[in-house]
Amino acid sequence: MSHTFIAIILIILAPFLGGLVYGLERVIRARMQRRIGPPVLQPFYDFLKLADKRRMVVHSAHAFLGIMHFVSLWYALGVFLLGGDLILVIFLHLLYTALIILAGYSTRSIFSHLGANRTALSIIAYEPVLILIAVSMYMITGSFEASAAFHHPQPLLYKMPLAFVALLLVLPIKLKKSPFDVAEAHQEVTGGVELEFSGIYYEAVYTAKWLDYIFSYTLVYLFAGSNILLGIGLMLFTFIYLNALDNATARVNYKQMLRFSLGVSFSLAFINLLINSLS
Amino acid sequence: MESLLAGLVGLPLAVSLLLLILPRQLAKWMVIAAAIILSILSVFAYANTNSAVGITLPHYINEVVAGADLLLLLFFGWIAIKRKSILVGLLTMLQLGGLVYLLNNMPATAAPQLMVDELSAFMFILINVISGIIAIYSLRYIEEEPCSPFRKKYFLSIIFWFIGAMNLVVCADNLEYFFLFFELTTLASFLLISFRQDAESRANAITALWMNQVGGLAILGAIFFLLRSGSGEASFSNLLALAPAGGLLLPLALLSMAALIKGAQLPFSSWLLGAMVAPTPVSALLHSSTMVKIAPFMILRLSPALKDTPLASAIIALTAFVFIAAAVGALAQDNFKRILAHSTIALLALMIMMGALGTPVTVVASLALMLFHGISKSMLFLNAGILERVFHLKNTSDMDRLGESGPFTALVTTIGFMSLLLPPFGAFIGKWLSIETLGSYAVDARLLGAFTLIAVVCGSAVLTLLYTKVIGLLIARSGEHDRVQFEKTGKTYTGTIYALLALIALSIFGLPLLLTHFFAPVAAAASAQDVTVMIKGWSIFVDTMKLPVLPPLIAFFLLPAAIIAAMFIHFRHVDRTREYMCGEKVNYSFSSFYLTADKATPYAITIGVVLFGALLVAALI
Repeated sequence: MSHTFIAIILIILAPFLGGLVYGLERVIRARMQRRIGPPVLQPFYDFLKLADKRRMVVHSAHAFLGIMHFVSLWYALGVFLLGGDLILVIFLHLLYTALIILAGYSTRSIFSHLGANRTALSIIAYEPVLILIAVSMYMITGSFEASAAFHHPQPLLYKMPLAFVALLLVLPIKLKKSPFDVAEAHQEVTGGVELEFSGIYYEAVYTAKWLDYIFSYTLVYLFAGSNILLGIGLMLFTFIYLNALDNATARVNYKQMLRFSLGVSFSLAFINLLINSLS
Repeated sequence: MESLLAGLVGLPLAVSLLLLILPRQLAKWMVIAAAIILSILSVFAYANTNSAVGITLPHYINEVVAGADLLLLLFFGWIAIKRKSILVGLLTMLQLGGLVYLLNNMPATAAPQLMVDELSAFMFILINVISGIIAIYSLRYIEEEPCSPFRKKYFLSIIFWFIGAMNLVVCADNLEYFFLFFELTTLASFLLISFRQDAESRANAITALWMNQVGGLAILGAIFFLLRSGSGEASFSNLLALAPAGGLLLPLALLSMAALIKGAQLPFSSWLLGAMVAPTPVSALLHSSTMVKIAPFMILRLSPALKDTPLASAIIALTAFVFIAAAVGALAQDNFKRILAHSTIALLALMIMMGALGTPVTVVASLALMLFHGISKSMLFLNAGILERVFHLKNTSDMDRLGESGPFTALVTTIGFMSLLLPPFGAFIGKWLSIETLGSYAVDARLLGAFTLIAVVCGSAVLTLLYTKVIGLLIARSGEHDRVQFEKTGKTYTGTIYALLALIALSIFGLPLLLTHFFAPVAAAASAQDVTVMIKGWSIFVDTMKLPVLPPLIAFFLLPAAIIAAMFIHFRHVDRTREYMCGEKVNYSFSSFYLTADKATPYAITIGVVLFGALLVAALI
């Protein structure tokens, strides 16, 4: 019961927590560059500022799809945190990403289109790895339910270390961090799909990104099983790793990203699966 | 039952003949009436079937069938000479030789030649309801075809003949009869594909002919080996009754091969891809309710015998590969019909795979996919026809203004794609059932299971991307077109589309009922084991598997409903702005990304050939 209670609290607070992660990230990244950086609550200040802007849309469907992207992402996160079916979660995840891609395609904006194309390619790059991870977990826990992984007595990390490495390699794609931030790539496609959103409508896309943090870190937490301390440790490690990587690398192009992800990350996860299925 | 069956077979054949002689206006009403009567008959046939009913035909029918077989092969031979196709000629000679040999050596039997069971009745509904709608749609479509009035009648006539042949295929028990009906559908598709009589149509029709003839030859081979093994008569029921004895894998493998060829699985996929040179209703017919659906039907028919054999593993490996290869192939296409064709091949692979697995859950999944794919695909193809005829669009990359000029067509096409993709549409439930079962299969069968699961899930992800890409183009518009005004495309077009929309709505709202009262009994009959589907609280239990209802239901309001609502929604008191162009003033043509799969195609075909060979190897070992 208490698990469900914690899950519900987490779901309700998810946007706020995600905002905090984002705020902390900006501080950490600044410190790595020997800057002071913005205050931790800066994302929330930005949030308030955006709410005050003049309302403008390219067309209604576009703005609406952006809002639904946020809502369905929150829902997918809810299903995930409540220990729902992992395959369903991955599909819902694919579908809420599809909504933002649809929004990107629905305008006649060059950058929006390019961004949508690149987001779609990012999906091809990371989705197979997520699926392999879910299948590997199934083979260990015997259930597709995320709760089975949350309650597994032994941390899954010990049985699927390569899959964890693969996850670490695809997370930068999902969270649009360098070197795999091709979907957003401000210098090339000026933010991609986000570009045509503004003011209060941008708010939805902006906070959706915060939810994506919680989603990704929950994926990391899955590897700890019922070991909460290990889970927190893994999340902290991932947090520092992601920001260090973001600071230290330059963007690759989308072909290199695809090649690396399908060549290296996918293979790692697959080898892990083979070992699991043969042992 | 006999009279119902006589109606289901006799009516389309009679209509087929009458269409050739009746005047146009009368023909039109007859088509509509026949479509409705056939649908009602099929539902009646389903309602009246609670067990397998064997139908023994009088003895002289055997002679008629043998005569028809020979006539058919002579016709194929004539085509081979006329079109100078050595391949068709060779295959016809082989078939002829095999057939004459079998006719002389076939032991006389008093067993029923036809058998109607729940699976046949299920197929009746799929065939007659959907083909009926397509036939009505064709009335209008063929009007605008640049050809002589007689050929227009001829086109409709073959469609009804096709329906009649299909109704026969699904109730044949005797394999010799089955061979004839199988080849009759081959002939019907050959005539339809070559309908436009240009060089491309003819070439593709020949491809379809010889590939399906290989399937026919495989059936003859199956009969031959079955008789030689001395296990009695050549019929499906005998094959199933003997199944536990083993040693019958070779005939089973040959029949499965025939099924896979009909189902356009690699390396035999090119006949279905080539078939789209024909008028669009033909594609709709081939892809949704007839022809290719013979493949999952045959596998389901054989599934109790196939289950847990090395042969089943070989089929599963092949279809898993085809699923992902076809999905990736679809991403490389721009032509709307080609995209649909590739996704048909992928989903057929899934249906066949589920049939070969043969557990209660997978059989339910296979049936659900068959029916819902039939509905969605026919609607998409009918839309493809409207896009061609009314909007003159063939390629998806040209469709980015459809949301402005034809919002209704754009909307229903979007719904068609979503019904193949999103929860809680039936096809999604079918896929979900498949994936969840493959999970346990992955634990049992280890490597093959894991490979299959990954292929299916990744393939589904690729298909999702594909559909997203197309839907994205369909909903594109600019700020000036923020309010939608539906266009008019004509009564026949709109009427048939509405009929299919109603069926899709039925598949959503009636799903729990369909699962418990429609798919479960059919699956129980087809898989020869108890299939329990129960609804308890907020969950559906299919056998031992529990499917929660609530998450997909909520997902419905978030995803498909949101995308449909996005077409209509209109924010007031909000300023409209132009897109950001970075100061550039160039005309930018919007296109999407494509994967170039051309380089991979030869490899895919090679792997397909190897896996096809594996079928035989699995049977012989």
